[in-house]
Amino acid sequence: MSELIQLGSHNERPMPPKADELNLRFSEQAIKELDALKTHYPNQKACILPGLWIAQREYGGFLDGDAIAEVAHRLQRSYAEVQGVATFYSMYNTVHNPGKHKIEVCTCLSCHFNSAYRIRDYVTKKLGIKNGETTADGMFMLEEVECLNACDRAPVVQVGDRYIGPVDEKAIDAFLDELRASTESTVIKMADQIVQVQLKAEERIGSIR
Amino acid sequence: MAEYKLLLKHSDDPATQTLAGYKKAGGYSGLEKALKMERQGVIDEVKTSGLRGRGGAGFPSWIKWNGLPKDKVKPHYVVCNADEGEPGTFKDKMLMETAPFQLVEGMTIAGYAVQGDVGYIYIRGEFIDAAKALRKAIDEAYANNLLGKNILGTDFSFDLHIHLGAGSYECGEESALMSSLMGERGMPRLKFPHAPLPTISGVWERPTLINNVESFSCVPHIVDKGGEWYATLGASTKNSRGTKIFSVSGHVNKPGNYEIEFGTPLKELLEMAGGVKGGKLKACIPGGSSMPVIKPDAVDVAIIGYEEMGEVKSMVGSGGCMFFNEHTDIVMLAWRTAHFYANESCGKCTPCREGTRWMVQIMDRIVAGGGQKGDMDLLTEVANNVEGRSFCALGDAAAWPMKAFIRQFPEEFEYWIEHGKSMVSSKEALALVP
Ligand SMILES: Cc1cc2nc3c(=O)[nH]c(=O)nc-3n(C[C@H](O)[C@H](O)[C@H](O)COP(=O)(O)O)c2cc1C
Ligand code: SF4
Ligand code: FES
Repeated sequence: MSELIQLGSHNERPMPPKADELNLRFSEQAIKELDALKTHYPNQKACILPGLWIAQREYGGFLDGDAIAEVAHRLQRSYAEVQGVATFYSMYNTVHNPGKHKIEVCTCLSCHFNSAYRIRDYVTKKLGIKNGETTADGMFMLEEVECLNACDRAPVVQVGDRYIGPVDEKAIDAFLDELRASTESTVIKMADQIVQVQLKAEERIGSIR
Repeated sequence: MAEYKLLLKHSDDPATQTLAGYKKAGGYSGLEKALKMERQGVIDEVKTSGLRGRGGAGFPSWIKWNGLPKDKVKPHYVVCNADEGEPGTFKDKMLMETAPFQLVEGMTIAGYAVQGDVGYIYIRGEFIDAAKALRKAIDEAYANNLLGKNILGTDFSFDLHIHLGAGSYECGEESALMSSLMGERGMPRLKFPHAPLPTISGVWERPTLINNVESFSCVPHIVDKGGEWYATLGASTKNSRGTKIFSVSGHVNKPGNYEIEFGTPLKELLEMAGGVKGGKLKACIPGGSSMPVIKPDAVDVAIIGYEEMGEVKSMVGSGGCMFFNEHTDIVMLAWRTAHFYANESCGKCTPCREGTRWMVQIMDRIVAGGGQKGDMDLLTEVANNVEGRSFCALGDAAAWPMKAFIRQFPEEFEYWIEHGKSMVSSKEALALVP
């Protein structure tokens, strides 16, 4: 309470988090990438979305409070502002850790009438998770999503940067096996690729795969 | 009439995704020509062409282009709306993946015409393949003096950046897109006449031109071959010129993107897509989920054109054309559509935030078997109170399809309400009851 009154009396907006209050985790590469992205816009605020993508990669696919605070600090915006932005968008994982792979099943119009709910129920049964849940081993999360705008391939499933469709039970089986065998997290890879495509050739440290 | 491939002409040739291949196919002659013209001359070509925005609203493009101040005092921005999110539409995705240079060239020409300094392509976050294709094209364009400082030795300089969204249908609405580009939640901004047009005060309060991917992709052709030539396409229609890409999906044998000349009958589009699969045609949503559903008799007579589609009480929209066969439960279609809009409502204004939620609640109870007498009137009334009373057009987009489903297929709603189950004996539809 006293803090609030103080803030009010100084007539200041909430301040960005300070470095010594934080446990900063951005790698050197991440810092350079953020600096490069800042040159694309007339102010730092516009870097909140790109900055959150970098954070999603750096923090292992999940934007917890520390991740949001770090973005706020690095762009000199308040924590509340960055959190407000992050929670608006469905691709930022702010609610819970999705695990290694997010299985996004489209159930929107064209997919709906091409058996999408059957596919969703199959994934639920096979992995023992409902919409929005992650398996106990942290391997898979299931998410029902709106139109992925690949309706010509209905029913469509997206995992990271890959669209598969039309899918049936067999294709799901094969795909899940493939994901289990790989060491890479498609959630982190997706965030990384989103960062890379926004950087010009001479700014890029990572690669586009 | 058959397919008329202008924008998709080279889409099956991956060589045109390199600069050399694109130039060999005639690319960049539009930009070269434009740079030798007066800026106003380029805008006049767009005017002559009769190009209308392909993002959904069909607004004459040249009016926007002409609206940016000619005596420039501040930086001008050019923004491409590549947030394609309208259910049923997947043409911008294909244009970016298979013809990235066409979009880059179109935006560069636009940049020249409106004295743009910086361009942004706002790509929906999920479209990573499209973004990769564009990245390659932009990098190559920079390396060859087609972007950056003093393009092709002229005094015109133009930077082009890619900006990825992060999952939100509402960010396709142009003022919400601008909010998002500036680092905010994707909520729309106050519009004309209560606020200046984007062409006067858009992103960062600077003059901004914002167009859809397909709109910009038309520009190299318009400048290269002339607006007059472009306007010969679709000349049979009242006021729709050029070609339009339709994304056809649902119950058809060959779903995919089909580019046609305006004036083509809708039923020919269905034929191109291989006809209906799994039974007879029952319903068609011609222009993306926001557009009113029509019945087979209307499909038979509809001509594709902005005004012409109005005659069958629907719209061209974004060109996301979905056909459904006789086993489709229209009530379930309405139910899923209602959920879409409620999920994507940004929450800024009360009519849409609450109204979309109410429509979902009523639809939920109908398909759960608890429909009440009067629910159809109630749905229509809620829709009427969302339509025209919302802060942005998402509210209208939620109301139109609901009203059309009820108007066109009242018997199906009545049956559900009375019997607590579907009139259509489709196992699939029934398995979905929440
Ligand atoms: C809810 C909503 C979603 C929209 N989504 C898109 C979209 O994904 N892509 C698009 O180009 N236009 C979309 N629009 C239309 C844009 O607001 C705008 O009219 C368009 O970008 C203008 O470009 P154009 O004149 O080239 O069509 C949407 C509009 C609304 C109301
Ligand atoms: S109509 Fe209102 S609540 Fe709905 S998306 Fe637009 S501003 Fe948001
Ligand atoms: S409805 Fe599933 S991709 Fe469009």
